[in-house]
Amino acid sequence: MEPDSRAFERNALKALSDKELQDALENAVGRIEARRAAAVASFDGFEAARERASGLRRETLSRLGDHLARFIEEAEKRGAVVHVARDAAQARGIVARVAREEGVALAVRSKSTAAEEISLDDALREAGVEEVETDLGGYVARLAGEPPSHILSSAFHMTREAVSRVFEGKLGEPPAADAATLSAIARKRLEESFSRAGMGVSGANFLVAETGSVVLLSNDGNARAGALLPRVHLVVAGIEKVVPRMADLPVFLRLLSRSASGQPLPSYVSILTGPRRDGDAEGPQRLHVLLIDCGRSAILEGKYRDALKCIRCGACLSACPVYGCVGGRPYGWVYPGPIGAVLTPLLAGLSEAAALPDASTLCGACSDACPVKVPLSAFLLELRSDTRFQGLKAPAEIAWAKGYASVMKRAGVLEALERILGELSRLVSKGHPLSGMPYPFAGWTERRDFPSVARRPFRKLWKIRRGARE
Amino acid sequence: MTGDDERALLLLRLRSATEECPCAPAPPAGGDAPAPVAAEDRAARFAEAFEAAGGLLFAGPAESVLHDLGETLRAEGVTALFSPEGDAAARRVAEALAPFGPFTLVSCAEVREGGGAAAAAAAGFRTAEAGIAETGTVIETSADGKTHLPGLLPKVHVSLLSASSLHTGLEDALAALGPDPPRNVTFCSGPSRTADVGQVFAPGVFGPVKTIVLLLTSP
Ligand code: SF4
Repeated sequence: MEPDSRAFERNALKALSDKELQDALENAVGRIEARRAAAVASFDGFEAARERASGLRRETLSRLGDHLARFIEEAEKRGAVVHVARDAAQARGIVARVAREEGVALAVRSKSTAAEEISLDDALREAGVEEVETDLGGYVARLAGEPPSHILSSAFHMTREAVSRVFEGKLGEPPAADAATLSAIARKRLEESFSRAGMGVSGANFLVAETGSVVLLSNDGNARAGALLPRVHLVVAGIEKVVPRMADLPVFLRLLSRSASGQPLPSYVSILTGPRRDGDAEGPQRLHVLLIDCGRSAILEGKYRDALKCIRCGACLSACPVYGCVGGRPYGWVYPGPIGAVLTPLLAGLSEAAALPDASTLCGACSDACPVKVPLSAFLLELRSDTRFQGLKAPAEIAWAKGYASVMKRAGVLEALERILGELSRLVSKGHPLSGMPYPFAGWTERRDFPSVARRPFRKLWKIRRGARE
Repeated sequence: MTGDDERALLLLRLRSATEECPCAPAPPAGGDAPAPVAAEDRAARFAEAFEAAGGLLFAGPAESVLHDLGETLRAEGVTALFSPEGDAAARRVAEALAPFGPFTLVSCAEVREGGGAAAAAAAGFRTAEAGIAETGTVIETSADGKTHLPGLLPKVHVSLLSASSLHTGLEDALAALGPDPPRNVTFCSGPSRTADVGQVFAPGVFGPVKTIVLLLTSP
């Protein structure tokens, strides 16, 4: 998937005036947040677990080379074929080669952000492989011709009615009023593909170094079926997914499940260790694991290393007031919300996504929600500063920020300005909020009023109240 | 450049990226593990968690629940029962249950080859290797050639779970897999479901829409 984040502002404005999208977001965010809050509240020791998980991730990243080498060694010892790709183009080349060499005609795919990152569908198309998206959200989004809008639930931006319309228009199904009927329609269409598919494609939630295992979490049975039934299984995973030991998994499973869907554990946790052995009843005859770097090693080296702690739970998305208002599409790439506003500039380039770090109120809700303590709001602030130093800010914005800083540094100037603005406000708007301001401040009042400036500044009131002499 | 070169370069990049950093020691594993639970209490805890996850639990001995189990399967539209060839305990329960439907006994191969229609009318019976009290989880593995089919294809998945095989928490369950785990291990916690439409849980696109555990408490 090619990044399209430059148009964030325009697409966000469009999203804000899309009534159906607003209904979908209000409903979906409300439900997922309620489930997460209840799950966190009932988890004694949530904070201690976050602390430990954060420490484990940090330690793993600080020796990522060693842990990844161990994973590769153990996975290959058990018969998996491990590939490494530096960038998306190389990854696509490997996918196409694997599909051709394995003689695959049909591939079933379950939701994977790593696969979306490398545009895996292009690689399969190029190799002449038919691909079926088996994740319900992904299936719907694809039928609708829309990109995924959430890292866990591709059709997060769609109401039930919108999904029903897509099934009606694209599949000729009668309108359906409830989620169960819509799911049953997809089931009917998709289940045959598992038995026909030559290859299952999935992501990985974790890679266990000490055993070379791939860990997959899902509520739907599609990821597990895609891993167990087809002849070949291709796992596409970012290099940061590794955990050193099986004993490290419990804390991540507890936190990820609760943060993602409010469950103690999802319906299926699959631990896949190598292809099937002689005598095994199921499992792929060939297991390929494609490890993608795609900019991660550069992140590891710099000040944003902790962004790689992310376990893709999606909690920061639904906690974010900006994501809650505009949804995932305006972010323009695989990762929306606060983690997207951090990862997209780092993985796709800051010049591609300079607007994203500004897509935040810096309220800190994302950092508070994150189960592995990724310092999201601190990173967003830091990225804003990077955009300034890489020359990606508009001159007017820089001039405005400079002027603001110089006033704030001088108490006398600030006081004088407050007095002037207070008087002006009294004269112009009679103390009422301003509903329109001239350029370059016009943007402020496009969608909201600007509060009137108080005649008496706060500090003056403070002095009076404390009885100090002026 | 060969794949081996690319791999060596990646590891080099990662090692040089982390060269400077002081390695914080890893926190010890297991800090948030649930406190050990006495064997006799594990079954109760499992039952609570399993039902909270959307499962239906019958506490055995098997003979005492056949009637209710049969009713439940009939209500789900099940007409055929199957169990893996080598799973004698599951086979016994399926056979004993057959007259309550009446249900037809079929083989794994028939369900596999019968496609969606066969699976939609079937209940798969299987003895679970273990369970987890903390999360209401049933553990199935591919050890000794065991199949996942009863929990993979049919509409209803019935697990025979011995109370004595219950682990307290995830820590014990994962440790029990040992240094060389079976090739496929599944922790099943409830039926297949999806919240992809409007964040409302509905039956999933693939896998059993009903999960039943027959918790065998007798020795
Ligand atoms: S940054 Fe944290 S909250 Fe956001 S998806 Fe990643 S792990 Fe979840």
